[in-house]
Amino acid sequence: MVEVRTGDFVVPGDFLATTEEFVPGEGAYEEGGKIYASSTGVVLVDARMKRISVFSRVLGPPTLKRDDVVVGRVDEVRDQSANVYIGVLRGREDRELPLPNLGMIHISQTHTGYVKDLAKQFKPGDIVRARVLNARREPVQLTTAGDELGVIVAACSRCRALLEREGTKLRCPNCGNVEFRKLANDYRQGVL
Amino acid sequence: MEKPEKLIVDGKRLDGRAPDELRPLKIEAGVLKRADGSAYVELGANKVLAAVYGPREMHPRHEQQPDIAVLRCRYAMAPFSVEERKRPGPDRRSVEISKVTREAIEPVLFLELYPRSVIDVFIEVLQADAGTRTAGINAAAVALADAGVPMRDLVSAVAVGKVDGTIVLDLTKEEDQWGTTDMPVAIVPRKKMITLLQMDGHFTGAEFKQALDLAFNACERIYEAQRQALRERYAIKQGG
Ligand SMILES: [Zn+2]
Repeated sequence: MVEVRTGDFVVPGDFLATTEEFVPGEGAYEEGGKIYASSTGVVLVDARMKRISVFSRVLGPPTLKRDDVVVGRVDEVRDQSANVYIGVLRGREDRELPLPNLGMIHISQTHTGYVKDLAKQFKPGDIVRARVLNARREPVQLTTAGDELGVIVAACSRCRALLEREGTKLRCPNCGNVEFRKLANDYRQGVL
Repeated sequence: MEKPEKLIVDGKRLDGRAPDELRPLKIEAGVLKRADGSAYVELGANKVLAAVYGPREMHPRHEQQPDIAVLRCRYAMAPFSVEERKRPGPDRRSVEISKVTREAIEPVLFLELYPRSVIDVFIEVLQADAGTRTAGINAAAVALADAGVPMRDLVSAVAVGKVDGTIVLDLTKEEDQWGTTDMPVAIVPRKKMITLLQMDGHFTGAEFKQALDLAFNACERIYEAQRQALRERYAIKQGG
């Protein structure tokens, strides 16, 4: 068998190594004691970890990992948690996110400080920027603690006009209603 | 068109090819900007485009499968793809080809990685001259790899048949129309596993074996062209 080396170009189905020598890493799979490429790219042989992977700059479907930043829509606010439909992974706006695309922000993860009333942090329909805490659970565990995280667009819960920031509050330019949210420091500045 | 007196003269076919010769083949990956993956295939006068989207959430929801992704294929011929303008929209033939295309490709995908999702493959025939279903499969396989959809292998496909009593590779429209047998074949190259085999007409046992060998040999060459297209595409992405 021809030895596969780091830097070799492979396509799905190319033989990489046997399972006696290596374990399959990213972009590789095992079948009948052999390891093959499952994606297009270049081989990466990690001799120390005995791992063989396919490094693909041809980006495949996005996958959520811890510390990824995502943008989503708040769908439901309960006593202890808010449910978020995750729309995009920052840096991969080119492509729709595969499932799971449901996230959850626990009340303890909304703010760096103590939060008593989650309804004053989020409302259904808000667009939030959040960081992934745990992508292996479903729903995906998210946090909005931190200045750059939180609500980036919110609508008035009475009349649906977009709320305008006034210091730490939000005011409705249409009906004058005042509301509160866990705001990102760049609320309504058009950045995802 | 009238039936020509002979389809093979002095061992040569009407377009000058030897019986075991493939038409000129060109494959390009990543031709569409807005698709997640894409490929363009020219085989003789055939021009076929494939676009892939996903894996993404399956809509409508009731078509979701709880533990796997659904592969959805749609083969369509552009109205201008044939000499007499084709009525747009799916007909029985397109529905059947969509189905066999899905079955030809499904075995190489890790559908279990994406529960409740869908992977969409759109195959658009821009110009047709027999062999569009196999050209579509070749394009779809490259488009899926271009989209980075995890795959066990590529899929390569070609048609073989019988014309004037001779086993031939890669039939043209005239040969398909006036020949006696047409057999499209798709294989998974590494495993030598057949994922599509249809037969329109008749072969003897020996002819069948000869035709299948011819198809396997041709698929090796098609596979090389598919690899080359992905390699070129990868080099571009790497650079940019
Ligand atoms: Zn209002």
